[in-house]
Amino acid sequence: MEINVLEKNPLKLRLYIKNIPLHILNSVRRVMIAEVPTMAIDSVVFTMNSSVFYDEYIAHRLGLIPLTSEKALEKYKSPEECREAADRGLFTEDCFVKLDLEGKGTGEGLVTLYSGDLKTSDPDVRPVYDKIPIVLLANNQEIRLEAYARLGRGKEHAKWSPVSVATHKYVPLIHIREELCKGEECRKCIEICPKDIFELKNGKLAIKQDKILDCTLCRICEEACPYNAIRINWKENEYILTIESTGALPPKKILLEAIKILENKIDDFIESLKREGVVK
Amino acid sequence: MMFPVRCFTCGAPIGHLWEEFKKRVEVGEDPGKVLDELGIKRYCCRRMFLSHVEISYEILNFPKVS
Ligand code: SF4
Ligand code: SF4
Ligand SMILES: [Zn+2]
Repeated sequence: MEINVLEKNPLKLRLYIKNIPLHILNSVRRVMIAEVPTMAIDSVVFTMNSSVFYDEYIAHRLGLIPLTSEKALEKYKSPEECREAADRGLFTEDCFVKLDLEGKGTGEGLVTLYSGDLKTSDPDVRPVYDKIPIVLLANNQEIRLEAYARLGRGKEHAKWSPVSVATHKYVPLIHIREELCKGEECRKCIEICPKDIFELKNGKLAIKQDKILDCTLCRICEEACPYNAIRINWKENEYILTIESTGALPPKKILLEAIKILENKIDDFIESLKREGVVK
Repeated sequence: MMFPVRCFTCGAPIGHLWEEFKKRVEVGEDPGKVLDELGIKRYCCRRMFLSHVEISYEILNFPKVS
């Protein structure tokens, strides 16, 4: 296996992976979306809400705010245990982080409460972004609430998914048959390609090597070519994996956690096979 | 209602960028350029900004019935 990093920043990771079976890569990708736990607000207790917004609307907005979760993964109990605790009405400290929000509208203009106004009981779990507007308050309208965040998984609700994008795509193989291509006279594929991948070099059609990975395999160029001179294909066993984080966890952590979870699932499977006597 | 916290389609957090977007577009900057600079790349997220109508200001004038 060979892996190259194409792009890496605090929110995004793009890897070029060679010699990996697609089903393995896809399993990892799906675990990233649905199984890697993060923190998110799940229960909200309103002690006061005289704003024009309904409790449910505000609770929904609160739930969607990404919370920093890297340390929380070790500190708090698993999503399954905490979900059960919440069902029984036990907002215990080993599961829940409490976030308080308070605000009152004043005479001059509107007051906006932001995610940054949430007061957290654990500094390791706080909103990733401070400028997300939660609610608007006009004169004398008041909000007082306690929100409880816990670990959860994307399969339960998308707010817990650590990624906004987790994709793998094929690596394009663009083949130009030079004997058929009319190059300068035609230019059809150059004009039509939505990703601007072709250019003319010395009167001949060429592929911009730095842009080839942008190709979406849409095959518009193939269709547009009057002389059948172009063929789009993809490489076997080579993929580009893109992870874009919501900010709750760094992309690297998401990938590693996903692999760990997948490994545990397979271990569990083997264990059950042994327990049931299917294998020795 | 208020500007959504996340993009409806891809789930990327966008709420924190709304006020800057609004401020800059109101003083006459090109919305497309502002979105580029804010790092909003996908068209699902871009339409969230471009098509948003802030009706919460009007709702604030009505009493809540519950
Ligand atoms: S398949 Fe689509 S993106 Fe790729 S080169 Fe052809 S037109 Fe461009
Ligand atoms: S459309 Fe076909 S013939 Fe025309 S430049 Fe492209 S590859 Fe060559
Ligand atoms: Zn989007």
